[in-house]
Amino acid sequence: MQFLALMIDGFRESRDRKLFWVMLLMSLSVASAMFCVAFKPNGVDILFGTWQIETDVFTIGDEVRADIVATVLVEWIADTILGWIGVIIAIIATAGFFPTLMERGVVEVLLSKPMPRWGLFLAKYLGSMVFLLVHATIFVGSTFLVAGFRWGVWVPGYLLTIPLVVLLFSYLYCVSVLVAVYTRNAMAAVLLTLVAWTMFATVQSVDDMFVFMPEWKEYRTAYQASQTARWIVPKTQDIPILAKRWAKAAAAVELMPINEEVGHKMRDRAEAVERARMAIHPALTIGSSLLFEAFVVMLAMWKFSRKDY
Amino acid sequence: MVAVTEMTNWAVDLIDVHKTYPRNIQALRGVNIQVGRGEIFGLLGPNGAGKTTLVKIMMTVVRPTRALGTILGRPIGHRGKLAATGYLPENHRFPGYLTGAQVLDHYAALAKVPRALRRKRAPELLEQVGMTKWSDTRVDKYSKGMLQRLGIAQALMNDPELIVLDEPTDGLDPVGRRDVRALLLNLRDQGKTIFLNSHLLSELEMVCDRVAILVNGLVARQGTLSELTEHTVETRITFCGDTASVEGDLKKIGVKLDGSMATVGGYSPEKVNKVIDVLRKEGLTIESVQPHRFSLEDILVEAMGHVPGADGRAGAKQV
Ligand SMILES: Nc1ncnc2c1ncn2[C@@H]1O[C@H](COP(=O)(O)OP(=O)(O)O)[C@@H](O)[C@H]1O
Ligand SMILES: [Mg+2]
Repeated sequence: MQFLALMIDGFRESRDRKLFWVMLLMSLSVASAMFCVAFKPNGVDILFGTWQIETDVFTIGDEVRADIVATVLVEWIADTILGWIGVIIAIIATAGFFPTLMERGVVEVLLSKPMPRWGLFLAKYLGSMVFLLVHATIFVGSTFLVAGFRWGVWVPGYLLTIPLVVLLFSYLYCVSVLVAVYTRNAMAAVLLTLVAWTMFATVQSVDDMFVFMPEWKEYRTAYQASQTARWIVPKTQDIPILAKRWAKAAAAVELMPINEEVGHKMRDRAEAVERARMAIHPALTIGSSLLFEAFVVMLAMWKFSRKDY
Repeated sequence: MVAVTEMTNWAVDLIDVHKTYPRNIQALRGVNIQVGRGEIFGLLGPNGAGKTTLVKIMMTVVRPTRALGTILGRPIGHRGKLAATGYLPENHRFPGYLTGAQVLDHYAALAKVPRALRRKRAPELLEQVGMTKWSDTRVDKYSKGMLQRLGIAQALMNDPELIVLDEPTDGLDPVGRRDVRALLLNLRDQGKTIFLNSHLLSELEMVCDRVAILVNGLVARQGTLSELTEHTVETRITFCGDTASVEGDLKKIGVKLDGSMATVGGYSPEKVNKVIDVLRKEGLTIESVQPHRFSLEDILVEAMGHVPGADGRAGAKQV
């Protein structure tokens, strides 16, 4: 009952933010834009006959077409708009949740309820996820339906993007809450979360470099440090890869424009990186990332529970 | 066994409560307070005395540096018993996006009040605090007084045995204050224990069965209103005639003479009668004999003089 009440409160608090409506508008715009595109045997029709693009890319066969649609959905639409802009909006919108909760005059009533502090903290933490859960559902749900009804391509695996995006958000939100509990400052929480996100991504990119440039592995200390760091930080970059795999989309490599000048060596190496990434075991990447998240949440919870208000 | 039952007879039994905030701010320096079941208890004191700190310790919001005793028969800090307590914090705020009715429902759910009861009680309480008209208005549109009324309703949603109110009449207009006083008396008649904090003396004088005066982190006085006012009573005797003839005799009895008014300190009918004898013997006309009861305000001012470090300023820097 207490948990449910805090979930409902998370939704109400989310709905109260202006960004909630900005994001809703964004999701619906994307779905409408997709609706304006139709695939015809002889090409692509945009805005109901306003423009026609002659192409036979989409008519090779049903399987290829489904593959391409899934790639467009996951990689272009969901990954960039939801997984990037959407997550940033959610970080900004939810950054004030804990600082507000901890304000004098607000926190006293909550702490005086028959509920342990860690319980209040965890319920509030999960309740803050409601913001992105609602939007990921609307975004993925609407684009999923447009792809199905309008384009005739149903990609059920694409629906798994909903929990994946929420998971990505949770990797980052724990940092936001930790900062919020220590500083009670929403602005600091946003900034440091974005810094952390950049760091997580950098650690993974550095590790990718060792696959791309195997000869660098000779710098043993650097390589080992990179490997260790990779296991510690949340693997934010693996989320779109899992999304793509679960949506059964084609690997990006297959769609990469092949520039002959780049040469086969480079292409082989890029493929190696892609293969290495696609080979990740979901349980390993998610499990190790959640371990990090749990550690950060414990730190924040410890501070939250020990404080005098 | 007897000792145990005696102990648990108190609704609130605070023993030797200390709180030192970081940077060695000693907010409480060994507070002992006992509140009987079914009484309205007033904690009185100037700003910065430590009243809010004490209440927060009772409500588990602040951890005491040291504390013994019980609340509703359980050790201080026991979370389970919080289900039987209602709390109105000082300067409380509710999330602005909730309506009055939603506030009551949300916080009652956190207090483990079953849904059916919440549905039933919320409108009743809104009615009792005169907020029915505003139940569907967002809280961020409320005035301070409306917020205070809603806060009191919130504290009552779980039908608590013990109600703790920190400055309940703060921000209320005179009508609101009268309403709150009536509500408190009504609650006491239902057998509830009420613990309230105030720095406004007149509020307390009217409703409290017992009071404690907290000054600079220590209880300076504690007792029923009549106990407190009784032991500091003084009697003023005015007369006319030649003062010089009685001056010596009155000094001997230990009476303060001020023009044609003699003041007998403390509660002492014998002394008053002696003064009258002296005056009558000299043939002076007695105009009036007035027992003067100290108000709580007088007691507070007097008490502040007795507590080390109490100079009316916040922040006890004593070590
Ligand atoms: N969170 C806190 N941190 C440090 N000092 C505090 C804190 N809360 C209160 N104090 C100090 O403790 C003393 C008592 O404050 P308080 O309990 O609010 O008194 P009252 O409610 O009687 O006005 C004051 O000197 C105040 O400055
Ligand atoms: Mg106070």
